[in-house]
Amino acid sequence: MPTVTIDGVKVEVEAGATILDAARKAGLWIPTLCYHPAVSPPATCRVCMVELDRGDWKQLVTACNYPVRRDITVSVSSEQAVRARAGVMQLLLARAPENEALKAMARRMGVEGTPYPTVTVSQRDCILCGLCTAVCEEVLGCAAIGFSGRGQDRAVSPPFRQPSEDCIACGACAAVCPVGTIQIRIHEEEGEIEISPFKARAKLLTCEVCGERVVSLPVSEEALKRAKIDWEEFRRLARLCPKCRRRGAAARLAKSSSAT
Amino acid sequence: MAESKLTEERIIADIVDRYENDEGMLIPMMQDLQAECGYLPLDQLHRLAARLDVPLSRLYAVATFYSSFRLAPKGLHEVTLCVGTVCYLKGSGAISEALRKEFQVEASGTTPDGLFSFHPVNCVGACAVAPVMIVDGKYYNGITLDSARDILRGLSPEEAPAESEAQK
Amino acid sequence: MTVVGMERLSTTADLERLREDLRKRRDPAAKCVRVCIGPGCVAKGAMRLHELFTEAVRQTGADVAIEAKGVGCHGLCERGPLVIVHPGNIFYQRVEEPDVAEIFRETVLGGRVVERLLYEDPATGERARTADGIPFYKAQQRIALAHCGVIDPASLEDYIAAGGYSALAKALTTMTPEQVLQEVERSGLRGRGGGGFPTGRKWRSCRNAAGEPKYVICNGDEGDPGAFMDRVVMEGDPHAVLEGMVIGAYAIGSSQGYIYVRNEYPLSVDRLKGAIGQARELGLLGEDILGTGFSFDIRINRGGGAFVCGESTALMASLEGRPGEPRAKYVHTVEHGLHDKPTNLNNVETWANVPAIINHGAKWFASIGTEKSTGTKVFSLVGDVVNTGLVEVPMGITLRRIIEAIGGGVQGGKAFKAVQTGGPSGGCIPAEHLDAQVDFDQLTKLGSMMGSGGMIVMDEDTCMVNVARYFTNFLRDESCGKCTPCREGLAQMLSILDRITHGEGEVGDVERLQAMAVLLEGTAMCALGKTAANPALSTIRYFRDEYDAHILEKRCPAKECRGLFRYAIDAEACKACGLCKKHCPVDAISGEKKVPHVIDQEKCTLCGTCFEKCPFDAVLKV
Repeated sequence: MPTVTIDGVKVEVEAGATILDAARKAGLWIPTLCYHPAVSPPATCRVCMVELDRGDWKQLVTACNYPVRRDITVSVSSEQAVRARAGVMQLLLARAPENEALKAMARRMGVEGTPYPTVTVSQRDCILCGLCTAVCEEVLGCAAIGFSGRGQDRAVSPPFRQPSEDCIACGACAAVCPVGTIQIRIHEEEGEIEISPFKARAKLLTCEVCGERVVSLPVSEEALKRAKIDWEEFRRLARLCPKCRRRGAAARLAKSSSAT
Repeated sequence: MAESKLTEERIIADIVDRYENDEGMLIPMMQDLQAECGYLPLDQLHRLAARLDVPLSRLYAVATFYSSFRLAPKGLHEVTLCVGTVCYLKGSGAISEALRKEFQVEASGTTPDGLFSFHPVNCVGACAVAPVMIVDGKYYNGITLDSARDILRGLSPEEAPAESEAQK
Repeated sequence: MTVVGMERLSTTADLERLREDLRKRRDPAAKCVRVCIGPGCVAKGAMRLHELFTEAVRQTGADVAIEAKGVGCHGLCERGPLVIVHPGNIFYQRVEEPDVAEIFRETVLGGRVVERLLYEDPATGERARTADGIPFYKAQQRIALAHCGVIDPASLEDYIAAGGYSALAKALTTMTPEQVLQEVERSGLRGRGGGGFPTGRKWRSCRNAAGEPKYVICNGDEGDPGAFMDRVVMEGDPHAVLEGMVIGAYAIGSSQGYIYVRNEYPLSVDRLKGAIGQARELGLLGEDILGTGFSFDIRINRGGGAFVCGESTALMASLEGRPGEPRAKYVHTVEHGLHDKPTNLNNVETWANVPAIINHGAKWFASIGTEKSTGTKVFSLVGDVVNTGLVEVPMGITLRRIIEAIGGGVQGGKAFKAVQTGGPSGGCIPAEHLDAQVDFDQLTKLGSMMGSGGMIVMDEDTCMVNVARYFTNFLRDESCGKCTPCREGLAQMLSILDRITHGEGEVGDVERLQAMAVLLEGTAMCALGKTAANPALSTIRYFRDEYDAHILEKRCPAKECRGLFRYAIDAEACKACGLCKKHCPVDAISGEKKVPHVIDQEKCTLCGTCFEKCPFDAVLKV
């Protein structure tokens, strides 16, 4: 198992683990925006830059996806690395100056504001990290949203900016969005869930027992499809809210234990 | 209507067969589709995505990433103006701006009357005879704003000429 | 064009017999008209000339052995269209349609030279009968371009008669893959696409990598504006590329190759397709090549229109049917490339050098050029130079020799200002460094790089700040947009350069650009982003005074940036025609008949209309 010496701390990691894994093991904080354990690292935000000791020179690499294959020495707190991360954050702040999540992270990094004017236009602070598209494709297998355009015109949207037929309104994209661009909206009157800004709307399923809103109907249907189980029981369970499900399970357990 | 739908499905089927259903050949497939239809119609892209079992979002990503793809019909004539370094230094940047203004056409767009589509591109590889403009496959070298204007004003509003060898 | 009357070759002996046969059938004294159909000449109407010559040949009686062929680029594009008549290799330049009949009658049939169409040396007035007598060609050594201009690129017979596929036969039947690897390693060949990575080493890493199948790719995405070297090779000698790839695939252990050609080169695609078809038919490509048991086939993919696809990982993404977005190269593509398999990617020119190395040996190749940069390099010499075109020279030659001896110096008698090399990843080199040697390392020390071979000469009227702005804008437009520093950083840099060139530069702007360069180099994901600030950096390094003038004085010394210089009327040249006065939108020009006109600098809005309208060039930029 290779050893990573990171800011002087030695940690052993599995071959193929990343510098970020090593840092976490060592208890060191490295800022990340586009990293999420559920998906392969897009490595697009570049805010996790660290310095790798190459002997005759120091190379800046992204911690989130640099694979450790032999013993290496890494510096998180070197001047070069700190400056690089700060520079990247400042560019992001210029893009989305009012974003609270970015501002909070900047504060934690010790970055005070940005010297840059705003020259690019973001879609509600979107930093194009790619987590939403990655989770939709890799985890859900829907690929309902994707990137479009190139360069400054790069954007995340459903195809042709029309509500996607492949979206199951699960909200995973909103869950992983690091800056709050993607929001789940509940439309009470229509009993619908909306994933904003992708214009995806779906009916919300209500609990068969208590009527509480549970999950979007397409998600429930997808789950049933993918589970490939024909049990009536599973169908019924999928239509209960967590509370009723638990109550039902408790009741069954009580019945079976009292039977013995 | 049903007839043309059948033809459209046939176009997609042919293209997919031609490349043996290999999704790695998506770009050549979309190029063939565009060559066939003049642009990438939305419904055809839906069909292609379905046939290949590839998410529509990927086709949209590819269609909008690469400069050669059009999601809207092109003009009767195809005008390409090189704005690569050498041509630019010899004035093609200014020519591009002036032509776009005069003919009210955006880069990669079509004039309001549909007469021609305009594509400023980053180098066509004929740098020795800059600045270069290509109209319907025909090269014009050493152009000036005046000569370019004359050429464009002289474009026929009737059917475009058959595509030349160089354009195929 | 299918190969007529040639059967599939099952052994190298078959190939040699065919070669012998073809050579025997060719009369060295036979009449031949070679019409250059390289990109520059085609743009000047060479296809029509080819048609006319072909027609003239057709009309001549069958008793005269004569042929007209379209051939690849000769390099002296400035003097095109070029027509070479054999016997004698009479070199005609600036040929126009009315000249065809005369050339045919006088030279082809009559053996007489048409003096006025010969190249005339602007310095000495001497006329050259053949290319040998033209200074442009004296310092050149054509290896990658050896067949360009000599053979018909659509003719496999021409290629074989000229010695083609002998390297393939030699490698596949008398050498082991290991021996081929060693030969290429010892030759010192380095990637010609810009990276300069030792080719033999790359091949070996790919061979050693775990995983099947292995892929071999030819990068024909030549995107550097101002560069057309690869185009010329693909269109002028496509079989050389194929032959190189087969040899490489053999050494590496690959059976599937791809040639990725940028979308803007449809003719290159056509020529390569034709060559592949011919090679397959003859058993030089595909299953069981020359009966050796080695199989390798090539497929052509066109790009979709994206400069970034010249980057190897972006190219591979494109080959997988995805947007051309680069990825991190912490794991090399020789280990995990196309479809995550070991992949060896090389540039067109790199592949084109391989057959010569196998044929003549590593030692021969290494004896050309310099110790660390062996062999030759093809450059596109363009811009404000007299002899614009394509040149191939041994590495180590100086910039001065290329620009002055070969290029004929700066056009129009103007002063040399800078030469831009290496495309958008490169920089501008000023006059003081003209004696620098051109190779993989020297130009990098000066803040530029050799790159893929683009060499743009700029004269005294070029605004270097605007050059930086142009390249920055280009890269901003072509950035894939995936990573923060490139996408946002280039937008920031362009915003600064736009301000400077519009007279709104601020103190500190130069330092801002320099700081952004450091940030880009350290944090961008791929080479496009990492080197994106080079044009700005190198122009700041050598032309700081221009930046200062723009920022501090709101003045453009080269008088290019609109609004940052003035116009004045030369009283001596002015003929008082009144055109400028008539067109001035703000009535800033005064003057009566026969009185030199004057521009009121207070009223003048610097629009430049008078400058454009004056038929006597009496309006000066000051």
